[in-house]
Amino acid sequence: MSVIRFDAVGVRFGADSALDDVSFSIGAGEIVALVGMSGSGKSTLLRQVDALHLPSTGRVTVLDTDTTSAGGRELRALRRRVGFVFQQFHLVGRLSVLENACTGALGRIRGPRLGRVSYPKAVRAQAMAHLERVGLADRAAQRADTLSGGQQQRVAVARALMQDPEILLADEPVASLDPETAVQIMALLREIAEERRLTVLCSLHQVELALSWADRIVGLRAGRIVLDTPATGLGRDEVMAVYSQVGPTLAPIR
Amino acid sequence: MKRLVPFVVLALVIAATAAITSIGLMDVLTGTGWAYAVEFLGRALPLDFPPMDEVLALSARTLSIAGTATLLSVLISVPLATLAAHNTTPHKAARTTSRAVIAVARALPDVILAIVFFRVFGLGATAGVLAMGLHSVGMVGKLYADALEQTDPGPATAVRATGATRTQTLLAAVIPQATPAFIATALHRFDINLRVSVLLGFVGVDGLGLATATALRRLDYQRGLALAVVILALCVLLELVSGLLRRAALSTRRGWGLTGALFAGLATVAMLIGADLSLGDGLGRLGATAELFWPPIAPTGVFADLLATVRMALAATALGALLAVPLGVLAARNVLPRAGGVFRAFIVLVRGIPELVLAIVLVVITGIGEAAGTLALAVGAAGLLGKLIADSVEEVDPRIEEAVRATGAGRWQVFCAATLPQAAQAMTGHLLYQLDVNVRAATLLGLVGAGGVGFVLLNSARVLEFGAVTTVLTLLLGVVLLIELLALWLRRAAA
Ligand SMILES: Nc1ncnc2c1ncn2[C@@H]1O[C@H](COP(=O)(O)OP(=O)(O)O)[C@@H](O)[C@H]1O
Ligand SMILES: [Mg+2]
Repeated sequence: MSVIRFDAVGVRFGADSALDDVSFSIGAGEIVALVGMSGSGKSTLLRQVDALHLPSTGRVTVLDTDTTSAGGRELRALRRRVGFVFQQFHLVGRLSVLENACTGALGRIRGPRLGRVSYPKAVRAQAMAHLERVGLADRAAQRADTLSGGQQQRVAVARALMQDPEILLADEPVASLDPETAVQIMALLREIAEERRLTVLCSLHQVELALSWADRIVGLRAGRIVLDTPATGLGRDEVMAVYSQVGPTLAPIR
Repeated sequence: MKRLVPFVVLALVIAATAAITSIGLMDVLTGTGWAYAVEFLGRALPLDFPPMDEVLALSARTLSIAGTATLLSVLISVPLATLAAHNTTPHKAARTTSRAVIAVARALPDVILAIVFFRVFGLGATAGVLAMGLHSVGMVGKLYADALEQTDPGPATAVRATGATRTQTLLAAVIPQATPAFIATALHRFDINLRVSVLLGFVGVDGLGLATATALRRLDYQRGLALAVVILALCVLLELVSGLLRRAALSTRRGWGLTGALFAGLATVAMLIGADLSLGDGLGRLGATAELFWPPIAPTGVFADLLATVRMALAATALGALLAVPLGVLAARNVLPRAGGVFRAFIVLVRGIPELVLAIVLVVITGIGEAAGTLALAVGAAGLLGKLIADSVEEVDPRIEEAVRATGAGRWQVFCAATLPQAAQAMTGHLLYQLDVNVRAATLLGLVGAGGVGFVLLNSARVLEFGAVTTVLTLLLGVVLLIELLALWLRRAAA
């Protein structure tokens, strides 16, 4: 049963093609790393999964929702079930850590909210619990922009947990962090994924990290899938070939 | 098109020089102006302050009117700016319409709105509040839309990715980022409205301005000047308080939210009580009033008056720039990191002088309208321009400066090779913006006796010839539009 499915997806920005005839599917509970040079289309692909952007051609089906034919309400319902963690954390720096975490609940509570006290008590309690899980309960009242990068990314993970997601997307979640913090955050993501049996699609540009972290590696080059294979037994050089400008079409596409 | 730029700039410089020389600025400082001032001061001193409770009541009234007008503009501007910003409104038609509404609000001079609303709502605070409130939307709405557009799109994407609706995303991720800018803009406009409300006192807006105008009309200079001193003190006080509030809004400390909200709530209630608004049966009279303003009539010499206003604005902008450009450059942190502090402090000081109050004093003291008005405007222009120029110098890309510095260039070499070329376009924009601001301000100064179209407005309101107001409005809109087109053309041609 596939949770994420791309059928001949093409994405164009004007004349430029960011994704070209991309087809693949990801089953429930799979942990997949997306690798490729900068500009190869990783972010574009991830944004398709959360319907933050729709394909120019082809079809994206996520949790049985066809994003091209779904209406606004259906797309919001889908996004609620998909958590997204970004490279630059994307927290509102002026707001408290707790309030940032609370925004993860907006998809299921009605009406606009402004200010910590505008969120129901239960939501705040839940946000505290998730902050506890990522190890930041003691920072809840602090402004988000006073935290270090690693801590901010933990808040972003807590925000995603507030959605109680079935899929977790991450776009180079550790690219702005130092190597040590990067390893910690990736470990946290993996733990959480296993605890909650999440399906995970995460773009990374550190090949070693991708190899040791993921179950499956998908490689993009210039908007096309050039590698799709289990991570076990895969050598570094085979993955590095994704990064070569030109080169043979890479062998193993499952 | 690009080849025309130097000629246009040269033409502007020549026009400004001509304006400065024809205004007879020296008369203010020497000769007749000086003699008049000495004689005048003899009649104005000692100052005659009204009793303390009256001073407080007048000040409270003025603050209430200016504050309520600002509040009104904020209440209109938040939704309007949300509709006008491209990151909060996907519909192009809605954006264009809201931008147009904002532009119209900016183009309608507050004096003229005040004259119209006095006809409709009668004396009292309502006309002043509506006039300043609606006109302020032109600035507040524009700056709010800019603030929204300048927010980091990341948090909004992230919140949208959780399944939030557009409105939820706006409130959870966009507005919180823009709040400090919202507060700073509102405080800035409050400052401006306080000064404007004083001038509008000359056409009937209640408070310190009206009291001053009445005193001067009675030729009671001792009282008139004393009230000007009170206004000055009030402006300085507000500047200090709003500086504190601005800093609090920007501070990284938490806990201001509740205190701030409480404070704002109390202040709002006090303001509304103080302003004591009532629409009366004014709305019913709206149609009948509109008819008074049609058809337009051209008072004799209106073109000469328009020329005088434009001349004042041009000369003041040029004089202001002469002071502000070097001052702003020296104040920029990336030019003189340490010594620049002195110049920054000086700019703050100049900005603190309420030019409109200065104008009342200068015009009244020297009796030489146009030159005194120009001088007052130039001081105001120097303050605002100095800050804008310093900002545009600081906003250049530091990596380019660094690249030039890495070649072994000295400080001023870096400035000429990397900083100035990057900042030049923004600077030109600011100069033309100042010219536009000054045309409006010069019109206002006409009310207190600096001549020009402001005087025509005052007069036609007094003799109930409202058709002339329409003529002046049309002419002013034409001038402002011309400046806007010039700015647009220069930006395009230089790009
Ligand atoms: N909003 C956009 N508008 C225009 N081009 C875009 C946009 N987003 C991405 N692109 C283009 O699509 C291609 C893929 O970009 P992206 O998905 O960001 O790559 P990656 O995340 O792998 O670095 C790039 O050529 C990029 O310039
Ligand atoms: Mg990317």
